[in-house]
Amino acid sequence: MSIATVPGAEPVVTISTPSRQGWWRRFRRRPPAVIGLAGVVVVVVVAVFAPLLAPQSPVASQFGHVLVGPGVAGHILGTDQLGRDELSRLIYGSQSTLEVGVLATLLAMVLAVPIGIASGYYRGAVDMVAMRVADVVLAFPFLLIAVGLAAIFKPSLQNVIIALGLAQLPGSIRIARAEAMALREQDFVQAAIVTGVRDRVILFRHLFPNMLSPLLVQASVSIPAAILGSALLSFLGLGVQPPTPSWGNMLATAQTYLYNDPWIAILPGIAIFLTTLAFNLLGDGLRDLFDPSMR
Amino acid sequence: MRGYLLRRLGISLLTLVIASMVVFIGVRAVPGSPATALTGNTNFSPAALAAITREYGLAKPLPVQYLDWVGQVLTGHLGASPVTGMPVTTEIGNAFPITFELTVLTMLIALLLGIPTGILAAIRRGRTADYTSNALALFGLSIPSFWFAIMLILLLSVHFAFLPASGFVSFSVDPAQNLAHMLMPAFVLGTGVAAVLMRQTRSGLLETMRADYVRTARAKGLSEWVVVLKHALRNSLVTVATVIGLQFGILLSGVAVTEEVFGLPGIGQLTINSVFQRDYPTIQAVALLTAALVIIINLLMDFVYMVLSPKVRLAGEPG
Repeated sequence: MSIATVPGAEPVVTISTPSRQGWWRRFRRRPPAVIGLAGVVVVVVVAVFAPLLAPQSPVASQFGHVLVGPGVAGHILGTDQLGRDELSRLIYGSQSTLEVGVLATLLAMVLAVPIGIASGYYRGAVDMVAMRVADVVLAFPFLLIAVGLAAIFKPSLQNVIIALGLAQLPGSIRIARAEAMALREQDFVQAAIVTGVRDRVILFRHLFPNMLSPLLVQASVSIPAAILGSALLSFLGLGVQPPTPSWGNMLATAQTYLYNDPWIAILPGIAIFLTTLAFNLLGDGLRDLFDPSMR
Repeated sequence: MRGYLLRRLGISLLTLVIASMVVFIGVRAVPGSPATALTGNTNFSPAALAAITREYGLAKPLPVQYLDWVGQVLTGHLGASPVTGMPVTTEIGNAFPITFELTVLTMLIALLLGIPTGILAAIRRGRTADYTSNALALFGLSIPSFWFAIMLILLLSVHFAFLPASGFVSFSVDPAQNLAHMLMPAFVLGTGVAAVLMRQTRSGLLETMRADYVRTARAKGLSEWVVVLKHALRNSLVTVATVIGLQFGILLSGVAVTEEVFGLPGIGQLTINSVFQRDYPTIQAVALLTAALVIIINLLMDFVYMVLSPKVRLAGEPG
């Protein structure tokens, strides 16, 4: 007997979830979520097409035009202390921000989902070990993890991604674990267990597809948190290294010129704020969609 | 209930032991010899190297070194900073009260802003107060703390000259000046935590307000405020307590960067400085201290959780 014909072994994805069109219709009715989605799309487009969109090079200095104000000498948003075009730096700065936000979350998910599923399904010793791992990771603030990685290796974007990914690990493990524990008690999983379906199939064909929506919601709150974290780390000099622009390192240098040229400190902050806000709005919209009780 | 307490305590101790091993191995994974890492010197005469190797017991097997180190930590011997020459315990002793004060003020602001707005939003669900609170929370969640800090400095210190931009004055020297220096950093951090608390309080309340016992309380003719404050809130605070525990680790990263921006010589600034100066004895001590703090706070929150939640109190297990 092949697995596909085992009664009740098919994932019941479609029973409680409305069709994709239904999602979109309900999503569309929430203006904040739509604004969030639009914002995210804009940031992604800016990051992907940065070389086409940036009016000038983000690293080329024009020492004749140091710290000129917005709108002066063809610099729409002015220049920084080395005469580099602020708008172009902001456009390129979106790349590392987005990269860290998405990859850190992805890393957390790739590690957390198998651990969480196994821990919630098998319980016992597996669960005990997984929870202790989560506790230990939780004990180290992401700044400390990033600092440690920077000391052992060198300050880099990879370290920031690993540090922020690890920081999200405990939360993601807990969510996958809770879902796995709840699903394990459901009839279709119990039926699969009784009919002798292999564990691997149960874990990946029965449990995993049914926890996609809570995981998606978790990802949508993780991304903005990782973006803020990456800005914080690069503000401290632990992330992308100059001259490559990131919103965090732009803000760090701007601090020196705060009193006379506040705009170069204001602009990168607004960029971080709007990007995080867009992801948060989108995340809230998705959460309302999948988990209406929280609305 | 006692069984649950003891088990939580045991788990916390285990976590602390593993965390200390991570710190120990982490510092020894730094490139270069441990002698360099622990003293800050790169060039040693053979005699000096031998002396350091002896002093730190570097020739012994790693597990023995670890046990020696734990013994030193437990007796308060954390070594001296190769950068400042001061004992690490002194450095931490100077920095800790500042971070402690900042954290307490932050939590105070967060609780005062977050919980009432959360309650208000839940009671006035779908009305102006709810939307306003939600919008503010979204703002608090999305704004980078260090940028918010810089903007506040620009507005309140540079423009209005209302609060000092940076520095620290001890509370015992001048309480008013101390608070003036602490107000902006605590507000910056507090609003961020308040946003999380507000959302958690709101959703927790909305969930408990659907429960049968709340309906019963309403049916008894109690006023809506009594129903919410006496019956529903208690249960939703259970989740809030857990969130505070989880937030604490995130808060500590924020504390570090906020201290940096406002020039407060607390644990955060100590951490950041010791990293850039490659001051490994200090990093090692600070990392261990931070991990211990997070573990202790989470344990305390577990106890709060137990006191607040009748389910846990009666059954002896978290529900």
